[in-house]
Parts: sequence; C-alpha cells; structure tokens
Amino acid sequence: MSKATSPASKTRGKIDSIAAQVIWGALENIAIEMGHKLTRMSYSSIIRESEDFGAALLDPDCHQLCESVFSTPLQLGPIPGYVRGIKRVFEEQGEEFRPGDVIMHNSPYYGASHGPDIAFCVPVFDGSKLIGFSVTTAHHLDIGALVPGSCGIVDAVDAYAEGLQFKGIKVYDRGTKNEQMWRLIADNIRASEMVIGDMEAQISASRTGAERYLELVREHGLEAVLAASEYLMDYSETMLRREIARLPDGTYRAEGFVDGFENDPDPAKRDLKIVVSAKVEGSDIYVDFTGSSPQIPDRPVNMPFEGTVAIAVYLVLRSILLDTETHEYIPQNSGLTRPIHIHAPLGSICNPTFPAPTIARFCPGNIVASTLMHALSQAAPRQVSAGIGNLKVVAYSGLVQGSYWVYMDITEGSYGGRFGKDGLDCVDTLYANTRNNPIEDIESHYPLRVQRYEMREDAGGAGTWRGGAGSIREVMFLSPGNASVEGDGHLHAPWGLFGGKQGSCGDLVLNPQSNVRKLPAMISNLSLRPGDILKTVSPCGGGYGDPVKRDPIAVMNDVLDGFVSRETALRDYKVVITDQITIDEDATNELRGRG
Amino acid sequence: MILIGVDVGGTFTDIILADTEKRKLAIHKLPTTAPDPSEGVLSGILGLCSREGVLPEQVDYLFHGTTVATNAMLEHKGARTGMITTEGYRDIIHIGRHQRPQNYSIMQDIPWQVQPLVQRRHRKTVSERIAPPQGKILVPLNESEVRARIRELKAEGVEAIAVCFLFSYLNAEHEKRACELVKEEFPEAFITSSAEVSPQFREFERFTTACMNAFLGPKVKRFVLGLSERLEGAGLKGDVHIMTSNGGVATARTIAEKPVYALLSGLAAGVLGGEWVGRRTRRENLITFDVGGTSADIGIVTSRGITEASSRDTQIAGFPVMVPMIDVHTIGAGGGSIAYVDAGGAFRVGPRSAGSVPGPACYGKGGEEPTVTDANVVLGRLDKEHFLGGEMPIYPEKAFDAVARLAERLGFETYETAEGICTILASNMANAIRSRTVQKGHDPRQFSLIAFGGAGPMSAVDVAYHLKMPEVIVPVYPGITSAFGLLTTDLKYDLVKTELLISTGKPAAKLSQDMRELEAAVREQLLKDGLPETRIRFLRSLDLRYLGQGYELRIAIAEGGFDDDSCEGVWAEFHNRHRAEYDHCFPKNPIEVVSLRVTGLGMMPRLPDDFDRNPVAKLEDAWLKTGETHFRVKGILQKLRTEFFDRMRIPPGATIPGPAVLFQKDTTTVLPPMWCARVDQSGSLMISRSS
Repeated sequence: MSKATSPASKTRGKIDSIAAQVIWGALENIAIEMGHKLTRMSYSSIIRESEDFGAALLDPDCHQLCESVFSTPLQLGPIPGYVRGIKRVFEEQGEEFRPGDVIMHNSPYYGASHGPDIAFCVPVFDGSKLIGFSVTTAHHLDIGALVPGSCGIVDAVDAYAEGLQFKGIKVYDRGTKNEQMWRLIADNIRASEMVIGDMEAQISASRTGAERYLELVREHGLEAVLAASEYLMDYSETMLRREIARLPDGTYRAEGFVDGFENDPDPAKRDLKIVVSAKVEGSDIYVDFTGSSPQIPDRPVNMPFEGTVAIAVYLVLRSILLDTETHEYIPQNSGLTRPIHIHAPLGSICNPTFPAPTIARFCPGNIVASTLMHALSQAAPRQVSAGIGNLKVVAYSGLVQGSYWVYMDITEGSYGGRFGKDGLDCVDTLYANTRNNPIEDIESHYPLRVQRYEMREDAGGAGTWRGGAGSIREVMFLSPGNASVEGDGHLHAPWGLFGGKQGSCGDLVLNPQSNVRKLPAMISNLSLRPGDILKTVSPCGGGYGDPVKRDPIAVMNDVLDGFVSRETALRDYKVVITDQITIDEDATNELRGRG
Repeated sequence: MILIGVDVGGTFTDIILADTEKRKLAIHKLPTTAPDPSEGVLSGILGLCSREGVLPEQVDYLFHGTTVATNAMLEHKGARTGMITTEGYRDIIHIGRHQRPQNYSIMQDIPWQVQPLVQRRHRKTVSERIAPPQGKILVPLNESEVRARIRELKAEGVEAIAVCFLFSYLNAEHEKRACELVKEEFPEAFITSSAEVSPQFREFERFTTACMNAFLGPKVKRFVLGLSERLEGAGLKGDVHIMTSNGGVATARTIAEKPVYALLSGLAAGVLGGEWVGRRTRRENLITFDVGGTSADIGIVTSRGITEASSRDTQIAGFPVMVPMIDVHTIGAGGGSIAYVDAGGAFRVGPRSAGSVPGPACYGKGGEEPTVTDANVVLGRLDKEHFLGGEMPIYPEKAFDAVARLAERLGFETYETAEGICTILASNMANAIRSRTVQKGHDPRQFSLIAFGGAGPMSAVDVAYHLKMPEVIVPVYPGITSAFGLLTTDLKYDLVKTELLISTGKPAAKLSQDMRELEAAVREQLLKDGLPETRIRFLRSLDLRYLGQGYELRIAIAEGGFDDDSCEGVWAEFHNRHRAEYDHCFPKNPIEVVSLRVTGLGMMPRLPDDFDRNPVAKLEDAWLKTGETHFRVKGILQKLRTEFFDRMRIPPGATIPGPAVLFQKDTTTVLPPMWCARVDQSGSLMISRSS
C-alpha cells in the first residue's frame, strides 16, 4: 500500500515549469561562479586545495536558493542558519541591513557551524528593497584561539577560549570599511596576512554573487525569481517526500559512540553516546536525539544544534534517499529540510547551551550522521553503507622569525561496504568532502616531510561487500613546531551490517620507528622536534553482509592486490588461497559447507 | 600543395581535400568502419582522390583527428599496466585527492578505485627520494630493486610500465635511470615516466597522467603506426599528422609515444574549425558551438587565441589528465535530447538522448519519446521534403503524437510544449556557455556564436538570445567544420617546467636560463620532425600566482631573455590579469612563478581564404516555398507565415528577414522573427538582430 504524499504545490503555474528551469540554471551558475572566485583567490590550502568553503544565495526569508556544487556539504548546509543568526543578532541590537554592508558572523549559538567557519554575508538590495543575501563561508586557519591553528583546539574550556566571536559584525558599513575592526582582527589572530587574504577573497566572491543576483532579478523580475525559487523548493521537497513515503512507517533506533577524551580522568568525557530514533510517518521523518550524552561543559566536543547536528541529519538523509548516483540531480535548497523534523534535548551534547565550547564538533557530527544511517539501515537496507571510518584534522604549526606558519591537514576516513559494492577507500566521509593537499605542495611551502601516504592493508571489515580501507600518513617535522589533533575512531570500530564484520579502529602514533608513543585521538599543541614523525592511521569501514557469501574470485583479487591477507581470506571469508594465489576450489567448497 | 583532413567520429568519417594552388575543395562523408576505423579512412581517401583526379602520391600532408585514445579511456580498454613508484607512496593514484566525486551519494563509484589504470598488484615500490626545493637526492635510487620489480612486472604479464617518482619535476634523474633499466630488462614494454609526460607538481594528477599514457600506449601506438603503414602501402607518401588536445598537430611517431596528447583530438578539431570560420569573417571573440545528436561542445576563442583549460580542470572519463588541452566543454544537449517529466513533476530536456537508434520519434525507427528534433518538426521548422537534403524520411505525425503525450502530462497545449522543449534546451546550452565565459571574466555580449554540427544552427539563435549575444555565424559546410579545422593548424609542442620562484627573489637570471633550455628542447623536437628553422616559431608564458595561492594565471612573455625591468612588466601584467579575472588584485603581495611554458610551432601550409563556389545570382532562385511555423513573439506563441530557402543557393550579400528556415544537406538553420540573415563573401551565414 502506498501512502499519500503531502501536496507541495502552491505556485505551480503553467509557464513556471519552463521559466523555473531557466531561472534555476542561472541561479546555480551564480553560486558556482562565487565558489570559483573564492578558491582561485584564496591563500590558505584549507580553502584552495581542501575546498573547505561554501557559497550560496538566499531569499529575504533566508531560504537557500542555490549553492556552489563544488565545495563541501558541511559548509554549504549551514548557510541559511548563519543568516538567521545574523537576523536574530540584528533584532536584539536594533541593527538593520543596509546597501553596501558586509557582515561577518561565526557564532555557533547564532546559527554558525563552529567558530573557524566564518561567513561573510552581503545583503542584496534592488533600490531600497532587500531582495536576498549572497553568502560565503570558509574555514579559517586561525581565529585567535588559545593555541595556534583552528582545529585540534581540544582544551578550550568555553566559547571564549575558542577564539574571536563575531556576532553579526559589519566589517563594511554602507560601503565604508570598518578599519578599526580589521586592525583588531589582524592583531588578534596568527598568520593574519593569510587569513585576511582569505577573508578578502570571501568578500569579493560574496559581492560578485550579489551583483549577479541583482542582474537576474532585474532581468526576470523579483516576483518571477521568487516564484521560480518557491517552485524549486516545492520540487525538491516533493522528491524527498516521495522517497520518505516509500520507507515503511515505524521508529528506527541506533546508538553510536564518539571516543572523546581517552586519557581524561573524568569518565564522562569518554565514550560519548549518540542515541538516534528516527520515526517515519507518511512522508515526514522525525529524528530525536533524546538519550544522548549530556553536554561537556569544559571540552569543545559539543555540537551546535542548528549549524552541526541539523546539517548532519539533512545531509545524510539526502545522500541516502536522494543519492545522486541513483537519482536525478535534485536542487539542494531549503525545500529539502521541510519533511525533516529534529529534536535534541537542550543541554545535551547535540544541543548545548552557551558558553559550552564547540570548536572540535567535527568528528562527533560525523558520528551523528553515521548513527542516523545505522538506524535507517533497517528501513532502507540497500541505500546505506556499513559503518564509516571517521576523519582526523591536524594543525601543524611553528614559529619562524616571530611569524607563525600554520598548516591544516584533513586525514581521510573510509566507507563501509554497500549492497552490491565494496566501501570507498580513503575518502572524506558523510557530511565532509574536502580534498587533500598534494605532498609536493606541502613540502614546497612548509618545513614538513610527508614520509608515507598509503592504504592500510587487511583492515577493512569483512563482508559480502568489504569495508573500505583507510590511510596511513606519516609527517616528519624538519624544524621545531607543534601539532594539535582532533580525531575519532580509536576506541569504537565502524560497525558491520547484516552479518558483515566490524571494520578497524584508527590510531595516532608519535615516532613509529623508534621511541614509539601511542597518542589519543585528541591532542592539544604537542611540541615536536626536528625529525619527529606523527603517524595517522584512519579507521576502515565495516563489512556488509556475510563474508562467506563473498565471491571467491573477489577474495582472490583482494589477496592479489594486498587488500586482504590469505589468513583473513581463510578465517573470515572461508576461501582457501594457494601459494600461487589461486583459489583451492575443493577446499573452499568444503570449508564453506558445500561441495 | 594538396592537403587532406580526416575526422573520424562515432558515426561518420569526414574527409576533406584541399588544393591550395587551384583553390579547390572537395569533401566526402562515409560511415565510420568498425572495429578498425583505418579501413574507412583508407578507402575514403582513395575514393576522394580518384574522384578529384588526384594521385595518392601527390598528397603532401595528411591530418587526422582520432577518437582512438578517447574511446579507450571512455570504455576503459587499455593495456595491462604496471607502475614503479617511490617507496611509501604506492597508493597515490588510488587515494587521489581523497574527495568523493559526488557530495550527496552513498552508492557512487570512484573511477580510479573501481577501474584503476594500474591495479594495486602491479604497483611496485623502490627506495629513492628527491626533495624540494632544489630536487636534491635524499635517498639514492636502488637499481637492483628496480630491476627486480621490472622482472616481476614482466612475469605478471604487463604490456606497459609507468615510472612515477615524487618531485621528479624538479629532478628527473631517477625516473630516467629507471626507464633505462626497463629498456634493458624488458625492452618490449611500452615505457613512460611522469616527468617526461608532464613535469608539473601535484603528484596524483601527474602520476595518473603517466599511468594513462602507459595504459593507452600499446593500443594507440598500434593504431597510428598501423595507419601510417597502410597509407604508405597505398601510395600515400605525405606525412601523417595527428590532431592533439592542445589544438596543434603532432607526428604519428610522437603520438605513438605520448598518446595522452591525443585525448581531445576530435574535439579540438571542431574548435579550430570554428575559429577558422570566425577569423574569415574578421571576428575576434568567438564561441564555437558544435552540436550533434547527443551533445554540444563549446569552445572559447579570443584575441589571445583558443582558450586553454587550466591544468587543474582537465579530465577524461573522470580521471584528471595534466597535459595542455584546449578548453572544450561538453554538455548532454543536442538534437536527440529527450524531453520528459521527471518524478517530481519537473519538465526536463536531456541529457538522455535518443541517439541515432531509435532516434527522434519522427524518424519512425521506434522512438516514442519526444526529442528536440521532434519539437522543431511540430513547430514547422523542419520539413519533410528537405530534411537532410530529403535523403532522410521523417514522419511529422509521430513527432506530434510524442509531443502531445508529453503535453498531456504537463497540462500544456502541444505547441506550447514543443516551444518549451526548445526554450529549456537553449537555456541549458546558454548556461553551459555562461559557465565558460562570465565566470572567467568574458562578456558573451562581445562574442559571436559560431554554430555548426548537425543540430547547432537549429538552436543557435535561441541560445544567442538567452545570452544577449549580437550575432550567430553558420559556416558554409556546418557538418564538416571539424575536418576543416584539421587543415588550419600547425605542428605544436608544449613544454612545461615547474620552477617555484618568487618575484622578490631576483628570479630573472634563472628564468632566462630555464626558458633557453625549454626552447632548445622544443626546437630539437621540431627539427627532428623535419621542420626547417625558418618555419619554427615560439610562444612563451609563465604560470603565476600570488605566493600562497593555489591557482595560477598564465601570462604571455615576449621574446628575449629576462632582466629586472622585463620582470617588472610581467608582474604588472599579472596584477592586471588577476583584476580582470577576479575583480581584485593585491599589488603589494609577492608573486610566485609556478611554471614556465614554451610552445613551439612548426608552421604548416595554410588553407586559402577563399574557394571557388557557384552561387546563383538571385535570391528568388534560392526560394523553396512559403509555410507556417510557430514562434513566440513578445511572450505570445504565434503561427507565422515563413519563407523556406535552399541555403547553398543564397547569393552573397542577400538579406533574409526572420521568420525563415534555411535548408542544406547537413543541417537546418532556424531564423526566428526579429533576426535577419545575410550571406557574406566567405559564404558564411551572418545572423544578427533586425534593426
């Protein structure tokens, strides 16, 4: 029995479906152009190489109209929340949007994702009428936290320790640059030339988006643009509702764990629990985090509700239900949030209260996404992967002649096995999708040597479809410096699914060759000497389905390629591989219980 | 001089023969032969020669655009390939940039993981390490290890080997030595190294390019050398040249070693053909618009020449490829694009295409879904008697039925639906063009649209309207513009060297020395190809960025060495270009030189500007009939009286006001109301807004 899909159509006039296509294409093009400008002008590798930025246009009510398709979801998704946050600040302060303003914002308790992801918002006016917002967000290298860099600030005890807080600050007021503000910024952040260069690139890209949007509105008329946008939002909403309606009604539950602070004497700071219950009711879905760990008042693993938890939920549901591999391209806009209703108890790790610190919320957020996927695996078994390997973010820094250098490296994770497919190896997972920086670029610009960058062997979870492999990366310091790390997945291996085995935990090791020192996944400003090596090992995804059902030829190929050892082939897959790396069919059949 | 151009496409092989002295031109179109396209090439050339009374041995040059390399990549059918790389980095080509191609997908595949160019079992590591900034040897190459790995690969049955070491763009000594060892141990293998194919930084992209070269090597080598032999056997003594992705040509021997250079061979010829057409009408800024049944290929030409893609944006079959390529952007929109209503109720056109089988509904070959061609039939713009010279029967009632079925689902009227299909298609195409122009600082209003291919002239004016472009140009032979393009280019070799230098560090001497070395290497290549010194020219450029940025801008450099003054000029030009591209520049910031480039050109004989044609004297003789077509005027869809003409008989200078439809054998040009067309002296159709 099929369930009724709730009607979404309000504005679908006759001509709109043609005009909407025309306006949609033009809007997407504007957002792509904004992203293109930002990456090409920016300085830090975190933006230009890793693409940890977002660009989008919003209507005056903060509905997202379009987004730059070539950047990371975790930056794109939160943009409407940033602008809602700015509006809230403006209401509280009696401030107004004016033509020529550029507004800087990063407050996680006012919609931002976390402090280092700073938005620059340009309100767009046609004459004196506010017609929308052009916004870019980007991860900045340093925002003046207690230690260098903007990741691995794992010792921040409250929101004040995380760096500067910008709550709807006009860095340009009616076209006039607020010079004092910029001096304050320059004096309070490290590597300020690079960071301010990136900020200027963001402002330039936001202004370009504003100009283009105004041209579009002048060409088609605001009414037509907003009607087309409403049409597109309804359309995206309809597509998502159709898919939700196909899931059997019911409540699906799962639990996941974040490592937290492995060596902290306070057990409340370890093994943080994420509890998800997802209730499917018709074409709506209700996601509830009741039962998750309480917030940690003095460690920054709390997740801003709007900027992190909600985004993780939206993005993972979209990726499962409107997977772009199996579905047509559906515009990513605010229509996709309408069928999704999220609740997290205030004061929990999923909905903290000010001034609980949040800067290191990245890894917990991916566990929110992964746990929700785990819950939904019961309802949509062929659209999910087994457990994913979480990422690590490392800040390398040092002081050369009184100036800081800061380099941020995001170490990839891996996916679990999927129905009919093995997991993806060595990629960013779920709500993140950045790029690594070439070794040949890193070594040319920083006193670092990347000694090794390879896949882990024999560590993906066994299954009919194998979990993906994570990476091993070894970075040597060539001059004295520091490293800070926020990571996860050392204590809890990615889960297997439907009889698949769990994947493997990750690791962090100082000096793997001599004086080996095992480190936890969260490290604040570790001092390192020239020759010291930091080795990151990323977790490997869980297996999907019973390994004994895996095609023996696939197992043999895995042995040939070094993904699986002969021992694992025998133990987990029950495939006997000979010394010549061929399948001993008789022995395999006997072992697998047929023959 | 007798020149022959051969463009082998998926469906047709186009051959063009030009006699530069007699100013004569002959063309021939025949089906592409499978599995071996060289059969059709040979029989086509011989057929055309005998038709034109030319003996095969009289042919001086033969230029060939081929899709052999492209198809091998698209179908992933290449050689079993091995790789020798630096210890500790076995999986660079598997990890890539650790980014998923799609943001919102659990079920996606990553091309280099599911279909690796080199399977992991054939990726071998050896100890060696080069370090920046000078390329000093940190770990010497262990030669006995290299020999052992080569023997393993040989035993494993690989046909080709890529040698890929980190930082080889700074110092290629180890890669060269390893290649020598391969030649000793396994001489029959196809061998390539990363610095030799593309000496630029970014290891994933460079290694992948080298592995792709090896993967394609044996197949492409067999094809081009086989073709040369075949042609020679048939008495064709002229040199065979293959179109390259950078818009030049290279000798068959070069392509046999560097097949990655030929990945865009076919596409590049189209852009060159479009450029040639535009230049003859004395236009500087051109957008070439080559539309077939399934896709549209878009290229940009400015006063600086054909736009090249940045080395970060070039890819094939999802794999990055780091060789100079012209910037051709392909989208899935053409005459066969299917119009449909998707599950969410949106009206969409393409990228799915009816192709040639079953083809549009009006072909009567079983196609049921409405296509762009069907929409044009419904609107009265394509005509039963004259479609493709009347050689291809069409069934208008089948087009009407297909469009009417879609109209019912949409709740529109049939003609509204047909017009909507054309509008959505044109909007998709216009957006693709916008993404290549506006985003890079070009204003499409200052460009002419050169429309060709079977379906280009049908949609071109609509596209120009969306982009506010002033003019559309349709060449004389829109169906064989790519083959023309083959005859308009030069031997062209690009050499690139990554050299990280900073503007504040007095780089003039080092730049001069590097530039001299690159020029010498390019000159040697051209002399080896038999070019006399008098026909060799160089173009020089630097890829620059502000220190700390990740993307470069290419700045052309004048002849002569560098000194402090000329460097100042280069930096000033960079600031200007940065402002032009991004509306912003940072004059106080130091500039980083990332790479030097030298393009060596070996001048090839030119096509004459004009050919003999026999147009009739009066426009009346070109008139075919008066009919009725549907167009939207001032927002209202109207039925309008429309004149139909035989395009080839329209005399130069004659002006035709829209609405009108101009037929010719290879295409149909649709001229909407408010636009008019004129044939200029070169034979091109010049379409502009009515004043």
